[in-house]
Amino acid sequence: MAHKTHFSMGTAGLRFGMAAGGFVLALAIGSPAGAWSLEEAAKPYKGTTLRTIGEALPPLEAMDKLKHKFEERTGIKVIIEMYEHSEAVNKVMLDLNSRRGRYDFILQPHRELGRFVANGHLTPIDRFMSDPKLRDPNFKPEEVLYQSLWKEISWYGGKAYGFPFTALTMYLWYRKDLIEDPKEQAGFKAKYGYDMQVPATWDQYRDLAEWFTRPEQRFYGTAIQGKRHEALWYEWLNFLYSFGGDMMEVSSGSECGPIIVNSPEAVASLDYYKSLIPFSPSDTLNYFWDDVMVAMQQGKIFQMIMWNDATYAVEDPSQSTVSGKMGFDVIPQGKGGKVGQVEGWTYLIPAYAEDKEAAYLFIQWMMGFDQQLEQHQNGGASSRPDVYAHPDVQKITYSKASMDTNAVSIAKPTIPESPEITEILVLQLSNALAGKKTSQQALDDAAVAMGKLLGDCAPLKFPVN
Amino acid sequence: MIAGKLASSILDRGVGPLFLAPSVLLLVVLLLGPFVYMVVISFTDLSYALPDRDGNFLGFDNYRRLVRDDPVFWESFRTTMIFVFGVVSTEFLLGFALALLLFHHIQRRRVILTLLLIPMMIAPVAVGLMWKLMLHGEFGMLTYYLRALGLLDPQTALLGNHQLVLWTVMLVDVWEWTPFVTLVILAGLLSLPREPFEAAVMDGARPWQIFRDMTLPLLRPIIALVMLLRGIDAFKEFDKVFILTGGGPGNTTELLSIYTWRVNFRNWDLGYGATNAFMVYLVVLIFCAVFYKAVYWSRST
Repeated sequence: MAHKTHFSMGTAGLRFGMAAGGFVLALAIGSPAGAWSLEEAAKPYKGTTLRTIGEALPPLEAMDKLKHKFEERTGIKVIIEMYEHSEAVNKVMLDLNSRRGRYDFILQPHRELGRFVANGHLTPIDRFMSDPKLRDPNFKPEEVLYQSLWKEISWYGGKAYGFPFTALTMYLWYRKDLIEDPKEQAGFKAKYGYDMQVPATWDQYRDLAEWFTRPEQRFYGTAIQGKRHEALWYEWLNFLYSFGGDMMEVSSGSECGPIIVNSPEAVASLDYYKSLIPFSPSDTLNYFWDDVMVAMQQGKIFQMIMWNDATYAVEDPSQSTVSGKMGFDVIPQGKGGKVGQVEGWTYLIPAYAEDKEAAYLFIQWMMGFDQQLEQHQNGGASSRPDVYAHPDVQKITYSKASMDTNAVSIAKPTIPESPEITEILVLQLSNALAGKKTSQQALDDAAVAMGKLLGDCAPLKFPVN
Repeated sequence: MIAGKLASSILDRGVGPLFLAPSVLLLVVLLLGPFVYMVVISFTDLSYALPDRDGNFLGFDNYRRLVRDDPVFWESFRTTMIFVFGVVSTEFLLGFALALLLFHHIQRRRVILTLLLIPMMIAPVAVGLMWKLMLHGEFGMLTYYLRALGLLDPQTALLGNHQLVLWTVMLVDVWEWTPFVTLVILAGLLSLPREPFEAAVMDGARPWQIFRDMTLPLLRPIIALVMLLRGIDAFKEFDKVFILTGGGPGNTTELLSIYTWRVNFRNWDLGYGATNAFMVYLVVLIFCAVFYKAVYWSRST
C-alpha cells in the first residue's frame, strides 16, 4: 500500500515529502540546528550499499527488521551478515588482515578492540562526529549513553572508535515459582535453618542449588557452562569478581599490569565454582550458553548465571516452558561486593571501509532513541539509560536486573593480547573443572602463561614456584 | 615418412613436458607454493593479533619453543597418537572380521553393503552433531539406554567426563569408518584367485592355516593401503571431535589438528602456527615412511 502511494507521488514528490517530514521532525524537537536532516546528510551516498557482520542473535535480528526504515529514508542499502559468535569474529579478522574492506562497519565483542586498534584496523569516530554534515546535532552520546559502558565497550587508549551495539551483562536467573512454593519453603527451612529467599550470598546460592537438585526427576539446582569454550571464562568472571579477584591489577582495559589471576581470592572463586558441578546436569562440562539455555527453557534447572541478551528467549512462551515463572536479580555477593561482568558488542568502522560516512550515518541513526527502544524490546541490550526508563521497558521482567548490573559492571582487559588471555584461561579453567588439576595449579599455570605472553609489563604478583 | 619421424622425435623430446606443464603448474601453485610459504613463515614471528610482529626472521626460535616449552603441544601429540593407533587398529580388526563374515557366510550382500555405506556418506559435521545428540547427558538416547542397563552412572555423561571422553570420540570414529575398511577388504577378498584356495583345501589345509598362510599374505597390499589411508585420515581428524567436545574437558581430546587450529585461528599466531603445522606434516611423513617400509620390507624377504 505505502509503496503504491510513493510511486504515484513520483521521485520529486517523494523527496519533497521526506524533506518536509524531516523538517517537521526537527521543528517538533525544537532543535537550534534544524537544518540538519538524515535525508539531506545521506544525499551524497544515495544508492550505496553498506555491508556489516555480527553475531546471529535477537539484537541483530531486530536491527535487520529495522533497517528498511533507514533504507527508505536515505536510499542507502544495508546488508547484514549473521554468523555464530566465533565465526563472526574470525571472518572479521580475516577481512581486516586482507585489507579488502568487505565490511563498511562491523559488530565485534569489545575484547577484540586492542588488537584491532594496535594494528591500525579501525577509524576513530571523532572524525565523523566533528563533521557538521554528518553529525546529527540532536545525538549527544556524552549525555544519552551510560558513560562507563561506552568508555568500556567502544573506547581504546582514550579514543572513541564506535558506540555500543549491545551492553551485555550476566545476572542471576532463578525459578520464581519454586522459590515462592510454600512446600519448598518449609522443607528448605527444616533442612538449612533459615528462610528460603533469592540468594544474596554464595553460601545461600549453593544451599539452593543443593536443595533443588533431584537427579531422579532430572531436575538440577544449577547448570554451569563448563565446556572448553569462551562461555566458561565469561561465567567464571562473575565468580572471580564477586570473590574479590581479578585477572590483572589495572585501572582500565587498555592497560597492562601485574597479574593477579592466581590470587587466593581467585583460587577460592574457582574452588567454589567447581563445587557447583554436583548440582548441575551430568554433562555440564560439555555445556556452553546454548545448552544451559535449552535446559532452562525445558524447565530442568532452578537457577543459573546467564546473559541478558538471552533473557528475551527464556521469557518467550513460544520457545520456553518457564516463561512467566522466572525471576532475575544481580548475582549473589561475596568479598568483592555487588558486581557484574560486562561484555559489549560494539559498532566499529574499519580503516579499509569504502563508505565510512554512510556507515556512520547508519550507526548514528541506530543509536537514536526510537531504534534503541525497538531493538531493546526485541532482545537487545541498549546502552541508553532513557531506554530503560521507558514505561514499556520497565514492564519487562528483567529490566531491573539489567540496569542494576549495568551500574556495577567491571572492566576487563581489551589489550591486543586479551583474546589470547581468554584462550589461556579457558584451557586452565576447563582443566580444573575436569579434575585434571587443582584450582591452585590451574590458575598458577594460567598466570605463568599470561606472564610469558605479556612480558615485562605484567609481573606475577603471586609468584609460582 | 621423414615428416612422421620428425614429428615423433619432437614429441619425444620437446613437446612431452609441455603436456605435463598444466598439471605441474597446478601442483606448484596449489601444493608446493603454500607448503614452501608455510615453511618460510614458520621461521618468523608473524601474527595478525599482536602489533610489531610483521614476520621478522626468528631462526629456529619457534621450533625451540615447540620442543622445549610447549607442554600443551606434547599432550596433544600424545592424545593424537592414542587416537590414531586406537581407531585404526580397532577399525581394522572389526572391519576385517566383518568382511570375512560377509565373504564366507552371506550370499546376498548387496543390501548389507549399501547399508554399510551410510555412515561414510554422512558429512563428518553431521556425524558429530548426530552423536552429540545421542550422547547428550540429559536428552541423549544412547545415554538413556546405557543408564537403563546400569552401564552408566546417572551423574556421569560420556562427553563430560575426562576419563571417558577420549574413548567416546574414538568410538564415534570407529562407527563412522569401520565400514570403509570392510568394503575395501571385502573387495580384496573377492578379487583373490580361487584355484590356490581350492587346492589347499584338497591338500587338507585347515581354515586357520589357509587364512594365515594364504589370505593374509595375498591381501597384504590391500591391507597396507587401507591402514595408510585410515592412518592419514585419523591424523587429520578435526570436525567430529571439534563438534563433540571442542577439545575438552581441559585438553583431554585436543588433537594436534585442533591445537594447530587454535594457535592459528584463535590466537592468530601464524608463525608459531606454521611451526606446528610443519611438525604435524613431519610426523605424518615419518609415520607413512616407516609403515610403508615395514609392509614392503617383510614382503621382499
